Amino acid sequence: MAPQHATATRAPREKPSARRSSRRSRRLERYAPYLFITPLLVIFVGFYLYPALVTVLSSFFRWGLLRPWSPAEPERWNFVGLDNYGQTLTDASFWNATLNTAIWLVVFPLLVAGLSLLVSILIWYLARGGAVFRTMFILPMTISLAATGVIWSLIYNPDPQVGLLNAVLDKLGILGADWNVGPLEVHTGAWLSDPGVLHLGFADLRLTNLALVIPAFWAFTGFGVITLTAGLTSVSYELVEAAKVDGANTWQVARYVLIPALRAPLVVVGVVSVIFALRTFDIVFVMTGGGPAEDTMVLALLLWQQAFAFLDTPQAGLATAIAVLLSVVMIVAAYRYLRQLLTEKPG
Amino acid sequence: MIGAVRSRWTIVVLYTSLTILALVWLVPVLSAAMTSALPLSQIREGWWNLSFADLTFGNFVRAWEQGLGQHVVNSFIITILSVALTLLTGSLAAYAFAQMSFRFKATTYFLLITTMIVPVQIILIPMLPWFRTLGLNGGPQEYLGIALVHTAFGAGWAIFMLGAFFSAIPKDLLEAASIDGAGWFGVFRRIALPLAIPGIVSFAIIDFVFVWNDLLLALTLLARDRQPITVGLANLQSPHLAQEDLVAAGSIMAILPPLLLFAALNRYYVRGLFAGATKG
Repeated sequence: MAPQHATATRAPREKPSARRSSRRSRRLERYAPYLFITPLLVIFVGFYLYPALVTVLSSFFRWGLLRPWSPAEPERWNFVGLDNYGQTLTDASFWNATLNTAIWLVVFPLLVAGLSLLVSILIWYLARGGAVFRTMFILPMTISLAATGVIWSLIYNPDPQVGLLNAVLDKLGILGADWNVGPLEVHTGAWLSDPGVLHLGFADLRLTNLALVIPAFWAFTGFGVITLTAGLTSVSYELVEAAKVDGANTWQVARYVLIPALRAPLVVVGVVSVIFALRTFDIVFVMTGGGPAEDTMVLALLLWQQAFAFLDTPQAGLATAIAVLLSVVMIVAAYRYLRQLLTEKPG
Repeated sequence: MIGAVRSRWTIVVLYTSLTILALVWLVPVLSAAMTSALPLSQIREGWWNLSFADLTFGNFVRAWEQGLGQHVVNSFIITILSVALTLLTGSLAAYAFAQMSFRFKATTYFLLITTMIVPVQIILIPMLPWFRTLGLNGGPQEYLGIALVHTAFGAGWAIFMLGAFFSAIPKDLLEAASIDGAGWFGVFRRIALPLAIPGIVSFAIIDFVFVWNDLLLALTLLARDRQPITVGLANLQSPHLAQEDLVAAGSIMAILPPLLLFAALNRYYVRGLFAGATKG
């Protein structure tokens, strides 16, 4: 950086004529902020805002991807009002995908927050070596979810000669076991096709979803570990010492000193995990394609299939309706988080 | 004495439990790495029973020749183009948001930040016809097309994260340079930009990992011979094809570039996410 500093201090001297042109440049400078934001704004409008508006508008029309809806061709518009939304909201596959997405929404943030809380508190207690452990948990974050799906498909491989999980269960003598605990049925072995069911009376929840949540949890926990270890840097050892002098044990220190300090970071982890879970596409696409039947279908994959897998049927209007609903739910879910970002807005 | 624990027994328990957890955490990567380096016959007998004499690079050679090589090249083109575009436009805009005042600043900021939350699905469906209208389909210009979409979706992160680094620069410093006769752009290029280099490196790494790992946009918007390694890998993966050797080799090819970047610049990556975590 040193040479750049040198040019920085030398800069004014390079322009002896600066004084003369300064009035014109002062006028120009009033426009400077606009020049600075224009390139990004043009790309943003062209490749996000405009297409997003087209999606919202086209969700009120009936059309297929072979003859896409276009704002420029009003003569081909087939206005159907809220029909796409009505059809979506009464569609069994939509509610099936919603239920599966809801399972993701509950299980995934809990797993991520739970483990990263444990790991970050353990790391906080360490005198040295904490950074090494943290790195090991962060490492899977750099791996694409497509590769994560592939790697975990290897782990889940039903053949105990190939899949590590079943090999371990085989050694323990519980491969192919059937357990029935109340409403819960578990079969070990076929993790991606039939690992069991939870009977809830009004619905049967297939556990295959959980087999897909675990790889995502594996890939994403590093984010929680980073966020929570960052949060714990604000806790001083003196505070913990004081609590100990007052007779608190290790568990009470964690419960009454560390976790309260993590309230805000935990909200961040929770909100970002919820956004992540709602967007889930890659892992399901790679590992099961939404199957078997529609046991693992989630909203993001359902809308993709309706838009791009059935080119000849006019389902694209339906898909846009799901996209709009999904976005609305996300904005509502993340609204407070967004507000927090905005109040800290620079300048 | 650093560290909050004094009893030796507690320290042993701490290190043991963290070591076990961390090792379990790395098993999936180890499993893929071992599978990728063994012939199929050996994989069928369990990679954990390997003898070191069987280790081979053959899977990588075959996977590369079966088309994954082109996908890896595509990944590099798409990622480098996207990161460059995002850095170029994003650092300019982030600086304006951090250090300048202008009309509709709050509204534009809000709109840009929504890209952090709204899913890409909201633009996916009209994108193909829009690419056709703009002439961004059916040729190498598709690389530019997807890079523009990545830039649009990276806009929120760019102004949020780079903005945090730019606003950390003292205003006095920038004003002093301005009084000395440097124009706004001169102040940005000669003073703000050099000071924000660590932040820019952090953001570049995070954006690299993010773009490299994209599946959905590439799968939807690109023709087959321009798709990146994530899509190539997803196409290779099928429970009905017995090709664990190729799939594992492909997954290592997809993992390695972002992982090496992370290994080399780990400190920047973590600092960038740290900044996001504490500001958020």
